[in-house]
Amino acid sequence: MKDQKNFVHHIRPIFVPSKALSVLYTFCLGGVSFLAFVVLGVTGLLLMFHYQPGNSTGFSSLLTLASVIPYGGMIRNLHYWAGQLMVVTVNLHMLRVVWTHSYKPPKQLNWLVGVALLMLILFLDFTGYLLIGSQESGAAATVAVNILGLIPGLGIGLAQVLFGEPSAISGSTLVVYVWHCFALPMIALFLQLYHFWRIRRDGGVRPL
Amino acid sequence: MPRQLEWTRRAVLRLAWVGVIAASALTIEPLVQYLTSKEDRLQSTLVGYSKPLDVNSDWQNTANARVWVKRDSLGVMALVATCTHLGCEVHYHVEKKEWLCPCHGSIYDLEGRPISGPALKALPRVAVELKPDGSLIINTSKQVGMDTRV
Ligand code: HEM
Ligand code: FES
Repeated sequence: MKDQKNFVHHIRPIFVPSKALSVLYTFCLGGVSFLAFVVLGVTGLLLMFHYQPGNSTGFSSLLTLASVIPYGGMIRNLHYWAGQLMVVTVNLHMLRVVWTHSYKPPKQLNWLVGVALLMLILFLDFTGYLLIGSQESGAAATVAVNILGLIPGLGIGLAQVLFGEPSAISGSTLVVYVWHCFALPMIALFLQLYHFWRIRRDGGVRPL
Repeated sequence: MPRQLEWTRRAVLRLAWVGVIAASALTIEPLVQYLTSKEDRLQSTLVGYSKPLDVNSDWQNTANARVWVKRDSLGVMALVATCTHLGCEVHYHVEKKEWLCPCHGSIYDLEGRPISGPALKALPRVAVELKPDGSLIINTSKQVGMDTRV
């Protein structure tokens, strides 16, 4: 595609393969996932203005946010449902790729990028659940720390790096907060941009 | 004849842009309200109670707070009626002498110890200070043990 030299042409190409426009080929599942990601970023940023991470403060700050802050409940629910939607659409997107055999060369690298993105999104979902700081999220954090602890040698240190020290009745720690609100979204964002760029480099969306 | 307005795809999409911009403008006021809200600023953690409190009285609710007070032969105690499961406000049942949580059905005994339901911890007790005039100041940020009396 010689005529797509600059960024504008990359965003609005002069021509695209007709299959890429066919809704029934992709069901736009990757696109919907990205939209959900953008919604998560915006609503997540807004949540951060009132959320207070910490084993004793996480849960109560969310109760206040959702019950007395104007529009707080709406923002929390938008974040929650966009998170649920994204997990569903990312999984369906992968199934579509399997269905149309799009993991085959020359797209094998992008398939691997996709698998990494799937793992990241699942981990984002899990850390978000811990941030609620409820008794259940405390139980979830405890299970995760205990499972990681089974890895010989590395496990206990890894659990520290990923989760900090959650209490048994609240999973909200500063460590989880930093992963969920900054590190993981940033990694996921850059991987997604690379994912989209690779689509063009591999010849666009088309049956092989 | 004046030129007829033609509803080309381009014209419709341009109108859609106007709609998007108008919708975005509508979010400005809610956003400002959300971002400037100070409702979650720390409020005073002190609660007062000035009515007389008889020995072996039943739990009495303080005004505008989830704090309840009671006096037994050993002294005065204060309890916060927040469920230790997920934080709903629990209600005191006078006839049963039990605390009931409306959310997931946790039940606590008279002293606030969990009897059934998902809650595992007792309702928190907090520090009480007795003033010379007999009224009480309760400090909800200072948790104390079950046996503490003033
Ligand atoms: C990109 C994928 C993301 C997913 C899948 C995701 C998922 C979740 C989930 C499932 C929750 C629990 C919400 C609840 O149950 O109420 C949550 C909470 C939270 N998330 Fe995210 N999130 C994502 C991105 C972000 C981003 C980018 C930010 C900040 C910039 C953020 C900030 C927060 C905060 C502060 C909470 C706690 C508030 C709450 O529980 O409602 N999230 N997230
Ligand atoms: S919040 Fe009281 S039982 Fe769940």
